Amino acid sequence: MPCERKPMRYGHSEGHTDVTYDDNGKFIVTCGSDGDVRIWESLDDDDPRSINVGEKAYSLALKKGKLVTAGSNNTVQIHTFPDGDPDGILTRFTTNATHVAFNHSGSRVAAGSSDFMVKVVEVSDSSQQKTLRGHDAPVLSVTFDPKDEFLASASCDGSVVVWKIEDQAQVTSWPVLQKSNDIGNAKSLCRLAWQPKTAKLLAVPVETRVQLYERDSWEHVSTLSDDMITQPINVVAWSPCGHFLAAGSVGGFLTVWNVESKLCVERQKHEKGYTVCGMAWHPSGSQMAYTDTEGCLGLLDALPSSSTNAPMKTNKAPVVKEANDYDDLFDEDDDRVMDEGLSESHSPAKHPVVGGDDDDDDDDDLMPTTGRAKNRGSFLDDENSLDTGSLKLGQEKYGDEEDAGSTIALPTGPSLPPRPVYDGPLPTPPQKPFQPGSTPSHLTHRFMMWNSVGIVRGYNDEQDNAVDVEFHDTAVHHAMHLTNALGHTIADLSQEAALLACPATDELASKLQCLHFSSWDANKEWIVDLPKGEDVRAVCLGQGWAAAATSALTLRLFSIGGVQKELFSLPGQVVSMAAHGEQLLIVYHRATGFDGEQALGVQLLQLGRRKRQVIHGEPLPLSVKSHLSWLGFTAEGTPCYVDSEGSVRMLNRSLGNTWTPVCNTRETCKGMSDHFWVVGVHENPQQLRCIPCKGSRYPPTLPRPAVAILPFKLPLCQTTTEKGQMEEQYWRSVVLQNHYDFLSSSGYEIDGDGQNRAQREQQELLMKMFALSCKLEREFRCMELAELMTQNVVTLAVRYASRSRRMALAQRLSELAMEKANQLQEEEEVEDQQEEEPQLPRCRYGQSEGASGRSNSRSHQAREEEHQEELEEEEGAPEMETDESAGENRKRLNPFARGAGGSPEKPSPKPIGKEGRVNPFKVLGSGKSPSTSGQSRVTNVLDSMTSVKRPSPLGGSSGKQNKGPVLKPLAPKPKTKTQSTLLQMATSKAANKKAQVNTEPAVDRLKQPEVPPPDLPVDDSENKKPRTGFQLWLEENRKSIVADSPDLQETEVIREAMGRFRSLSAEDRLSWTERAKGQSGDLADLKKRKRAEEVGGVDSQNGQMEADENIAKKKKPLDSTTKLSAFAFNKN
Amino acid sequence: MDPSEVEFLAEKEVVKIIPNFSLDKIYLIGGDLGPFNPGLPVDVPVWLALNLKQRQKCRILPPEWMDVDKLEDVREMERKEESFTPPPSPYYMELTKLLLNHASDNIPKADEIRTLVKDIWDTRIAKLRLSADSFISQQEAHAKLDNLTLMEINTTRSFLLDSLNCMFKLRSNMQPGSGTGKALDY
Repeated sequence: MPCERKPMRYGHSEGHTDVTYDDNGKFIVTCGSDGDVRIWESLDDDDPRSINVGEKAYSLALKKGKLVTAGSNNTVQIHTFPDGDPDGILTRFTTNATHVAFNHSGSRVAAGSSDFMVKVVEVSDSSQQKTLRGHDAPVLSVTFDPKDEFLASASCDGSVVVWKIEDQAQVTSWPVLQKSNDIGNAKSLCRLAWQPKTAKLLAVPVETRVQLYERDSWEHVSTLSDDMITQPINVVAWSPCGHFLAAGSVGGFLTVWNVESKLCVERQKHEKGYTVCGMAWHPSGSQMAYTDTEGCLGLLDALPSSSTNAPMKTNKAPVVKEANDYDDLFDEDDDRVMDEGLSESHSPAKHPVVGGDDDDDDDDDLMPTTGRAKNRGSFLDDENSLDTGSLKLGQEKYGDEEDAGSTIALPTGPSLPPRPVYDGPLPTPPQKPFQPGSTPSHLTHRFMMWNSVGIVRGYNDEQDNAVDVEFHDTAVHHAMHLTNALGHTIADLSQEAALLACPATDELASKLQCLHFSSWDANKEWIVDLPKGEDVRAVCLGQGWAAAATSALTLRLFSIGGVQKELFSLPGQVVSMAAHGEQLLIVYHRATGFDGEQALGVQLLQLGRRKRQVIHGEPLPLSVKSHLSWLGFTAEGTPCYVDSEGSVRMLNRSLGNTWTPVCNTRETCKGMSDHFWVVGVHENPQQLRCIPCKGSRYPPTLPRPAVAILPFKLPLCQTTTEKGQMEEQYWRSVVLQNHYDFLSSSGYEIDGDGQNRAQREQQELLMKMFALSCKLEREFRCMELAELMTQNVVTLAVRYASRSRRMALAQRLSELAMEKANQLQEEEEVEDQQEEEPQLPRCRYGQSEGASGRSNSRSHQAREEEHQEELEEEEGAPEMETDESAGENRKRLNPFARGAGGSPEKPSPKPIGKEGRVNPFKVLGSGKSPSTSGQSRVTNVLDSMTSVKRPSPLGGSSGKQNKGPVLKPLAPKPKTKTQSTLLQMATSKAANKKAQVNTEPAVDRLKQPEVPPPDLPVDDSENKKPRTGFQLWLEENRKSIVADSPDLQETEVIREAMGRFRSLSAEDRLSWTERAKGQSGDLADLKKRKRAEEVGGVDSQNGQMEADENIAKKKKPLDSTTKLSAFAFNKN
Repeated sequence: MDPSEVEFLAEKEVVKIIPNFSLDKIYLIGGDLGPFNPGLPVDVPVWLALNLKQRQKCRILPPEWMDVDKLEDVREMERKEESFTPPPSPYYMELTKLLLNHASDNIPKADEIRTLVKDIWDTRIAKLRLSADSFISQQEAHAKLDNLTLMEINTTRSFLLDSLNCMFKLRSNMQPGSGTGKALDY
């Protein structure tokens, strides 16, 4: 039967203590250096009675209602027990009394003192004193012979003396102790003990052993020892039956021997390894109380008593060996390898309800910075040492018993199976549930909640158990002060209500209390009792609802007014919850974590009208070996959490609901043990609101901490470089902008300005990065960056590239710009189609904005180009080059060209060259402001687009080249052509004519130079046809589309097109060929007409614009120009 | 210049407050203030802080130097050094007075701070008197004193100047010859 070691509890302030039981064992009585004597009804007595006996109390003895104490005021006093009334001074010394003891009958008291004297005083008559002189140093301890004949004392002079009381003379003396000059310097307190009842043996602690001396012969008869005791024994105490002797040592070893067999019956180690300085057996012999030099009181229960004495003798060994599980093993004998950490980590598990538990947690929680990891490390170490220890243990046992000369057979010896040692990953203790923004519940003054609404503080001290609710914004509600009669430990606060919850007690069920202060009726409060056995673990308040997660793995939803609503089961024990608006975020234990990791899962629910689960219990990513320390939403409603390593992560809804680390608060900490205690996160402006805690994890309630603001910083690589910085800024802006989409999609108002600002900022950053990579000659990277840009910014980039003479880059960029423009158009078309349903007003707004921005930038650019041309004209030769390359640009502009070419076809330099060369002349000749050379140079997206307005009226741009192709248009061709165009149409959703027109001319332009004269005429014709008849083309296109796949296109449009085509079919071919011819002619004239066309075009364009305003609004002006051209054709 | 004017100048000093109301930026001639978010510290001039405090619209966070440990150091320095040490703030006396009078509940250990600042003040004023005394007794023409705050200068100015004037007159009267003109002047 291993005894049970109860966890230590605080008894007195630090320092020497002593303990005893009262006569019938009802009370434990302790004294300590705080000068108090405390009377405990049991170890769990939370309110022991205190009697103050002086400044300090060194020793006490209790018998027959008399409490005798040795205090610092050089006296030995008597108090009545249990009343504690002073009953006079028994005796005085010239200095401190060190130890007092009653005789068996309680009639006499012996007291040893630092003035080398021992006095024996009659309790009834303190004048009858006997003084025993003979020690040469302070007396350490005294003890009476139970038969009242002798008295033994130990002293710092190293001697243990037996006195004959009547004669006041020394009977014998053993110089067995180490000498010292004062009590404080003595290695051991050397409390002697005389065997009760028989009074046969005197036990003297000598170093790590206990020597037993026989009465009368005064011979040393035997020694009790144990290998486990490595430090001097302080105290020995006989069990009331006299069969067992207990010893407590420096370093906290507690040992019980069976004196007859000299076997160690019990071994215990003080849970913190403090020195045991007081020890007393319960009169029944089944319990033993002990105290340590730190003022704590402990208890060993279920000790072998005299009644079980006989069986014990035989069972002793089996008892030890049979211990087959870890717990028994280390309850029974703590191995010396084990240190405090182990017992610490172990004891809470065993006694989860008792006070010790709290202490352990305290250590844990308050452990600074590295605390967690360190603690865990030690925990793991302990576990390991446990393993090795447990193996050794068996052997040691054998050894012990043999040493002690045990004659007992060890029948069960071999039955101890070799336990397999497990050295794999060890489970992490699961993190306890917490409220985000609260400090640990064991603190007497704590924050129960600190969030963006206000602060809930809890006070739980002697005077007061109260809850204070205070609002940041006094406009919400005035501050409240509540008495916390129910013992609430959990709280949440919102603009509407404060929610409090308390765990169940023995009598009362767990309760949920809601202070619904925003209620408009008179009842501002409701309370709900949870079913028996169910404890609230976490609560949170959303908008108009409250949620409580319970120990029964249930989540209960309530309306804010107290109506019970849905409830559902959680997949694991809840860790924390947070709510925002209609969203509910739950983090729970998904599984057991190993090696310091927590395995947490997360659920995100949407509880609005349309209830759904957004995140379905996915694992929550945490930093290595960390736990969750804050959970919540940003003010904008993005889920967000902080782990104990200070890493802040935010849900990235645009990346498949992944979690992006946005900040590490530890980076901004000055000291290793400093922390930031997060209280809120804002995305716009980007703020992490937290409280700096110097040297701790949690802020104290007083002085009232002030909130500090940390910036976000994505942990991107190389943020010290300019590039890294800009990348970080860009992605931070992108991540923190996600909430706009979410908010608008869930129907909230959004800050449009803020969003635009963010977008502008992003584009600016992209442009900067682009410029930077340009400087670094990283053209590929430039392209990659350009892909992230919006179309109009790409055009800027094109300009930048061409200005910095990176023509290859500029070309590619303009292709990209083209692509983007197409995409945009497609999107617009899609939107046009969807216009009936006003679905995403925000989106449309953004786009129309973008479109107008684009047009602006384009016109701006055009102006710029003009400017540049003028400059370049002066330059002469270099300009030619640029023109040429610009020509190339133009050629590649079109996505189709790319598609067709696949490999970048080298343009035959001739035509382009011509164009390029011709232009400058013309410009010069015409003398008009917009020079053609400029245009050709500008051939980037925008310019190619502006030039688009020409192609239809003008036919082809360079007559000669086009001539070959012009021949092609044959009657049958259209079909092939339509086919090819069909594809294009399909891609660009040809429902819209203008779009088609838009791209087509570009194709033409590009293709022309590509197709050298010797090329096959057929190919040319294909290329050419689009050039010749746009109108027809489109109609045909539609037709073919209808034929092929009517479903794809808007049926109306198609049918219309079909009808037209059929009605026109007779004339069609004619007009077609005519156009082809006309175009070729036009083409020849192109250059000359250009300018005039442009002017005229612009005018007519305007007219057109007005006419088509509705449609044109969203399109670029470009579209209207193409429309114009189409118009012109129709006239033809 | 009287002390109230110096105090007025001190009220321009910036101090952090934690408002308990919400307000957008306010645009003033002296610069923009805010925005005010409940619970978030914000920098405002002392005059506004005190005004808000009096209306119970904010909590004032004491300036960094208004801390017992720091002030104790300053005091020790001040006592040790012969010359003037840099004051904790150019308006330390005024700010202490203002903040402690109006917001002592927001400032931990207000009484200790008051005593400390008074100690520092006394030490410095004693030094000032001492230097004035030696300045006069040694009949120096000019002296240089660093690290004096406006308030300190202000306390001694009127007295020192008047007395110097007076002494000048007395001296010039004592000197025969030149005395007549001056005396008439007076």
